[in-house]
Amino acid sequence: MIQFRPIARVFLSFFLLLTVLSINKVSFAQDAAAGKVIFQGQCVQCHQVNRNATGPALAGIEERVPDKKLLYDWIRNNQKVLASGNPYFTNLYNEWNKTPMNVFSGLSDTDIDNILAYIKAEASKGDAAKGGAAGGGDGSKEQADKAQSSDNTLLFGILTLILAIIALILLQVNANLRKLSDDKEGVPAFEPVPFYRNKVYISLLTILLFVIGGYFTIQGAIGLGRNKDYQPEQPIYYSHKVHAGANQINCLYCHGGAEESKHANIPSVNTCMNCHMAINEYTGSAGKLYTESGQEVNGTAEIQKLYEYAGWDPAAKRYVNNGKPIEWVRIHNLPDHVYFNHSQHVKAGGVACQTCHGAIQEMGEVYQFTDLSMGWCVNCHRETKVKFTENKFYSIYEKFHEDIKNKGKDSSITVEAIGGTECQKCHY
Amino acid sequence: MKKLPILSLLLVVVTGSIVSCSDVKREPSRNYMPDMWQSRAYETYAPHKNLEDSQIHYTNMPVSGTIKRGEIFPFPLKRDGVGDSSNYIGSKQIVNPLPMPDTLRLKESERLYLIHCGICHGTKLDGNGPLYKDGSGPYAAKPATLVGDAKYENMPEGQMFYSITYGKNLMGPYGSQLSTTQRWQIIHYIKSKQAKSVPKTDTAAPDSTATAAK
Repeated sequence: MIQFRPIARVFLSFFLLLTVLSINKVSFAQDAAAGKVIFQGQCVQCHQVNRNATGPALAGIEERVPDKKLLYDWIRNNQKVLASGNPYFTNLYNEWNKTPMNVFSGLSDTDIDNILAYIKAEASKGDAAKGGAAGGGDGSKEQADKAQSSDNTLLFGILTLILAIIALILLQVNANLRKLSDDKEGVPAFEPVPFYRNKVYISLLTILLFVIGGYFTIQGAIGLGRNKDYQPEQPIYYSHKVHAGANQINCLYCHGGAEESKHANIPSVNTCMNCHMAINEYTGSAGKLYTESGQEVNGTAEIQKLYEYAGWDPAAKRYVNNGKPIEWVRIHNLPDHVYFNHSQHVKAGGVACQTCHGAIQEMGEVYQFTDLSMGWCVNCHRETKVKFTENKFYSIYEKFHEDIKNKGKDSSITVEAIGGTECQKCHY
Repeated sequence: MKKLPILSLLLVVVTGSIVSCSDVKREPSRNYMPDMWQSRAYETYAPHKNLEDSQIHYTNMPVSGTIKRGEIFPFPLKRDGVGDSSNYIGSKQIVNPLPMPDTLRLKESERLYLIHCGICHGTKLDGNGPLYKDGSGPYAAKPATLVGDAKYENMPEGQMFYSITYGKNLMGPYGSQLSTTQRWQIIHYIKSKQAKSVPKTDTAAPDSTATAAK
């Protein structure tokens, strides 16, 4: 019995410790939960915990301002603290371009304590997330998968080659064996003709070369001036997958010219800065970013490149120099003798961007989805049904209008029927 | 045995070409007859630095004060300097020059709102667009709650126009993306939504249209 006593004591103390710890945790969690409600309601308009917004990031605020009473005063009425000439807050105020903070006289000491508890909890969460990201577990796995898939093609190629060699050797062996057996049976052998002088072999090879060569010559000739799958490297790794895909930004937000003019405009830098004044890091909303050749891209560094072009100082939060235009590489080009108008297709035709540009919301780097050949254009004009309903542009086509009236929505009028394949529609 | 070196050479060449070939097309194709392909005139986005060498000064910008065909007169107030807010306050006096829109126009305004504003301010005008997403999106600050917040419900239309044109706090300026008419249209849409949600702001919305109708 005696030898059990120390064990029981250890158990008891352990149990006590656990209870104390859990009580601590519960009260802490409650504070943070109450603080979250207040924070979301009143602070989040200007402040974030782990990053700068209109106001500074709040993580570690209690270390920066150890005096609790001063902090209470500041949050309730910052103007009074500024008037009293506190050096820390005066500096902060100047650093943030003298943007005044709102007055929150309604918050009690407990409210502010709750907010601080919430900030502390969020800050430690943010640190944990950063630590996790540094590990980068699934990113490397993805890369390995990618490498695996390219290895496979190589493997198949080598296997095919080996099999072909084996087949050749077996054919030779077969021929030799037959010759041997013929010799034995006394069948007179032909003068052996080496395969490179064999007329059948030579003519077969000539035909094969002619077919293969002809195929590639014709393909090459057709491909002259066509750029399907053209995917140049751009000055900034701008991912449509992140912007149009994960963040659901409408195509027309940046390329508004598509419904108003011939060109779908390339957005100027100020359009980027509408959002990137506030968004200065890539938080992985669309997973890790890779270039087409498999290198990982640091999204935050790419945003820094944008700031350089824009002349924006992210620390001071203002434009410090003139900036320069970004020289994007143009992907979709049509020859000068072809006239193409975006607004005609987008506004009057009601064609979705993806019809010609592919699933752009899934592209990390943009490539040319279609070959933009004349055959491709004409084919679409032959098949596409004109959208007459609620479309002012086509109101002049009275005859077709009557047709729709009589037959309803199932009219069989194609773009070709209203002049979509006339030569001078595109060439003039 | 002469065949072995030939075969092994073939093997090396074939595997080498398979390994070295990347399927990413970084360079454009070649053209034939490029004189019919390239424009002799200066097309949009064509480089034009060489114009300066021949003493032609091309500024890219329309002459100041230019109004495009069919457009209404521009906003009369300039952007405030740093630390100055006189024009922001002065913009309260300016009323929406467009007549109250019919349903078709309002639908167009809604479309414009959803493209340009909804991304932050939300499709329901609750300040919770896909970029903010209750704080889980990439946008750090919570965008303004256009419906349900007295500050924005009572904001005069002119001041809204000022903020859209020149930007406010973390919101960027939209003067280059939306025409003057489009900006006023969007304000009509926001005001119509606000009027529906809270009856007390009804007085503000018809006020401005009454003066605009004169």
